[in-house]
Amino acid sequence: MQIQVKCSCGAEKCPEWAIIELQGVVELQPSFQDSFQNLQIGQLCRPSSQENFTFTIGYHELTGTKVALKKPMLVLKKIKYMDVDRSDGGGHDGASSSSTELDVVGVIRHKILFKTRPKALISVKEKPNGADAVARKQSE
Amino acid sequence: MMEQPQSCCKGAEVLLNLQPSSSVTIQYHPHFGPHDDLILLELDEKFLPDVLYQRVTLRGQPDEDAVLCTKSKTYSVKFVGTSNSVFLVPPADYSTLHENQQDCDGENYKQKVSASIIKVAPGNMELVEVAPRIDKLKLILSENLYGSDEALAMEDLEFTERSRKRLHKWDDLINEVQASDDELKTGLQALSAVEIDGYWRIVDEKYMDVILRMLLHNSVLNDWSLNALIEEKVVSVLESDGFPCKLAYHCLNVYGSRVEETMDGGVWMLDARRVCVHFARRILREGKRKFESFMEEWLRMIPEEMQPSFDMLEGEVLTEKLGVETWVHALSVSSLPSTPAERFSILFKERSKWEWKDLEPYIRDLNVPGLSSEALLLKYTRKSQPRIDAEPVFSAR
Repeated sequence: MQIQVKCSCGAEKCPEWAIIELQGVVELQPSFQDSFQNLQIGQLCRPSSQENFTFTIGYHELTGTKVALKKPMLVLKKIKYMDVDRSDGGGHDGASSSSTELDVVGVIRHKILFKTRPKALISVKEKPNGADAVARKQSE
Repeated sequence: MMEQPQSCCKGAEVLLNLQPSSSVTIQYHPHFGPHDDLILLELDEKFLPDVLYQRVTLRGQPDEDAVLCTKSKTYSVKFVGTSNSVFLVPPADYSTLHENQQDCDGENYKQKVSASIIKVAPGNMELVEVAPRIDKLKLILSENLYGSDEALAMEDLEFTERSRKRLHKWDDLINEVQASDDELKTGLQALSAVEIDGYWRIVDEKYMDVILRMLLHNSVLNDWSLNALIEEKVVSVLESDGFPCKLAYHCLNVYGSRVEETMDGGVWMLDARRVCVHFARRILREGKRKFESFMEEWLRMIPEEMQPSFDMLEGEVLTEKLGVETWVHALSVSSLPSTPAERFSILFKERSKWEWKDLEPYIRDLNVPGLSSEALLLKYTRKSQPRIDAEPVFSAR
């Protein structure tokens, strides 16, 4: 069986994706478990001209940097095709014919990595709401 | 707060180009989900062109671990997990093939600078270079050796149709053997395989023997020099003796090399070692022989022009002392598995202790990326030296 690795976007136009990486887990408040699409997680800021970043989730603040990956990563999408009609001949079993392809949809060369312990912020505007980072829906 | 209007307001682009004193809202993508069909693959920069220009494939049967093949190398694909949260941020225009895109143009997002996470990746795949899994090639090609009866039956279409069901074309081999194209070609060469009617075949040794002896017989009759065989003459004589043209060429390829290309065709030289090994194997095919008896018959069979010597047979023949007599038997390195663990296991079953000069020809061809031959010995053998002045011996771990 052979799975072709394709790049339908074209080698030169392969779009760049990004990764935000942090230690730990972002948890949703139970009331938001089913409606998190478009939900805001937090604000990522670059305070100065250095490649340092802060990521504020709820009332926690993480600090991190943008790092170049030691080795690039490709984002591959697995695509399954169902072949309607296939006559194979040569005695190979003509059992169900589905073929799979891998398509390169992106390349990742950098990530924004947060390695620090979250710093708890107490903001005059927010009421602290438990120990977990809280995802809040932005209202217009 | 946005300092100046940005040409893109969303996605990976804004994240990677975040300007000083600016910020971006991180949120869940409208199509956030497990997306098990999205896979991260880490690879060396040098592979990128091969992948992006569509020169790599994944090969293997459903019950095998997948390997990734470039044109000339084979890599095992391994998953490496992470305990971190790895948020995947696609470019702004990424669509997950769902019809309705709610993106930059949607009402809610007009002024917001945001980057959306499509998936939390549990880890990524990485590549480890491995030796091609080439033993399977010999297995499947040996199921249906090409022999004299098939050569004679070439006109019998029914015979050939029936047997074709178990034969393999190049495309079939690619589907069944986990090796790159180049490694597959090398493997076919090492097996002295030949392509007949589009199918790759290994020719039965007995049949090769018949063809070779006919070639040598004709050389004597026609006073041909074995160092300067004229391709056209050899092939036409063998054809008139009833051998298929393809097999005549194959015989030249297996036992010789082309030394010259003239206006009238190729000129070939027979390789003494390959011819001598052939006859040694033929004599020992039925079992072991006493050294003297073997040597006598061997020297008789070998063409006059060739100077045989016993060390031509390294990696093909082993000697053992039984009482006061020395016996020889065949053990060809080409019949041994290509994976180190299995290779050493068989070698130590054959003989529990090996001296380096005997062992070396039987492990010379072992190829494990990242392991030198010293490292292989360290891993699979125990070295001991009975006395200071004696040769070191290798035994099983």
